[in-house]
Amino acid sequence: MAAAVAAVAAATTAEDEARLLRLEEQAEHGGGGAWDYLCLARRLRARRPAHVLRVGLALLNNASARSGLASEQWTLYEQVATAAMDCQRLDVAKDCIGVLSKQFPGSTRVARLEALLFEAKSEWAEAERAYTQILEINPFDQIVHKRKIAIAKAQGNMSLAIGYLNKYLELFMADHDAWRELAETYVSLQMYKQAAFCYEELILSQPTIPLYHIAYAEVLYTMGGLENLQTAKKYYASTIQLTGGKNTRALFGVCLCTSAINQLTKGRNKEEEGSELQRLAAEVLLNNYKQQAPSKAPLISSLLKNMKLS
Amino acid sequence: MAEDLVLDTAIRDWVLIPLSVVMVLIGVLRYFVSKLMRSPATSPSPDPKLVKEGQVVIRARNLRTNAQFIPAKAFKARKVYYTNEENGLLHVPKEDAQKAQAAMFSDPNMAMDMMKKNLSMIVPQTLTFAWVNFFFSGFVAAKIPFPLTQRFRGMLQNGIDLSTVDVSYVSSRSWYFLNLFGLRGLFSLILGEENATDDAQKMMQMGGGFGFNPTMSLGAEKDSLDIMQHDWALPKMERHAEDVLKQLLKK
Repeated sequence: MAAAVAAVAAATTAEDEARLLRLEEQAEHGGGGAWDYLCLARRLRARRPAHVLRVGLALLNNASARSGLASEQWTLYEQVATAAMDCQRLDVAKDCIGVLSKQFPGSTRVARLEALLFEAKSEWAEAERAYTQILEINPFDQIVHKRKIAIAKAQGNMSLAIGYLNKYLELFMADHDAWRELAETYVSLQMYKQAAFCYEELILSQPTIPLYHIAYAEVLYTMGGLENLQTAKKYYASTIQLTGGKNTRALFGVCLCTSAINQLTKGRNKEEEGSELQRLAAEVLLNNYKQQAPSKAPLISSLLKNMKLS
Repeated sequence: MAEDLVLDTAIRDWVLIPLSVVMVLIGVLRYFVSKLMRSPATSPSPDPKLVKEGQVVIRARNLRTNAQFIPAKAFKARKVYYTNEENGLLHVPKEDAQKAQAAMFSDPNMAMDMMKKNLSMIVPQTLTFAWVNFFFSGFVAAKIPFPLTQRFRGMLQNGIDLSTVDVSYVSSRSWYFLNLFGLRGLFSLILGEENATDDAQKMMQMGGGFGFNPTMSLGAEKDSLDIMQHDWALPKMERHAEDVLKQLLKK
């Protein structure tokens, strides 16, 4: 049932993306459908700033088309402003935000755009101040919290980013995107124990996503130690099971874990020797290379021999 | 079988249709009145404590439902973090729970809102019922085009004390009640999903007192976690992975 739902969702997404490309081409060549394209880009959250900017500006500069949008024109201004900042067309962004702030004085949404403009100009202190003001009014504005984290990361201040992420997760504990961001930040700082905790949270919230299993396995493998290696091997195995054996990284992981465990136990671990998993993983890995990259197959073969797995 | 009754078309024109129209108009009017009476929210942002508690419950539920996917050590650490008696996230001291309830009952704004809601519901209902009772009581207003069992008599023939009349005939007073509870779908179309005219729902809520206590869900989640045993699923995954790889090699 779940697989069917996922398949339908994937098909719908693919269909929407194809339609987006079709509308994009149509709008670019003046064939109409500009507003439909912009609406679809917004709905799919597609990040295509150059196209959105071109099409959006053409609409905004056409007075009759703009007035035809009625109240929707303000959404267009917002969309064009964001795209302009993405393309470093700060003059356009400034104009759009100016129009919006005139229309909606004191709006949090416009204040957010103004802070985003400071970010685009790399005026970090100003942006930080603007975001702090928004949070004073509404401490539950998730987007603003995330922007503050982004500012810290953009400045390369990872410890501050971690501080902000932890603060954010105190409020919104169930946000898995934040847990993932925190995990990746910890990994980048080689704080593997903390990263492992974050990946555990991710596995708890979405246990069927193989990406989290493999990331957790890799963190455990990096930490080392017999217990961690044995656990890592199990998570590589679960990734194999969840991906139907199609994940090369997981197959390698099983081989590496087995090799490391054998080195640590020096053949004392009878249970590991009895396991057939590593032999099968090595065989599938070799087959994959023979089919998809025959030139590298001998290299893999010798690598696996060195690991005493083939 | 009782003989068919012939209903005057004037009943349709002067009872059936006006009654339905009046009920719809009163519903719409009541929606706007209750909207005007509703006190503006004192703060646009929700209570931080409530938000945090809601998030804790979600996270604890995730732990409870998917605990088999993390190692025993990780599960134990989390279990302690949530349920320990000193500062566990799910632990609510008894006095805190009582305080929360007392605060709810002593909040004058909440009491006022409740009174306003009840007023906007009871007053128009009383008036319309009195109006229906005075002008349209004691006669048949419509016929349902399919047969019904005797159990429906009480519901459809309110105000008519004749056992000989076929059950599918609806009295005017019953027509009022059918409209009262049956126009919910129409109101959600006219006024949107979040309309203030859902009487059936309101009547249910009236019995519930001052809403739900957020600390209760924390306690329930804590109890569930306390009795939970950890059974790690990953060792089985190795065997499943072997089966998957064997299948791949067979192809």
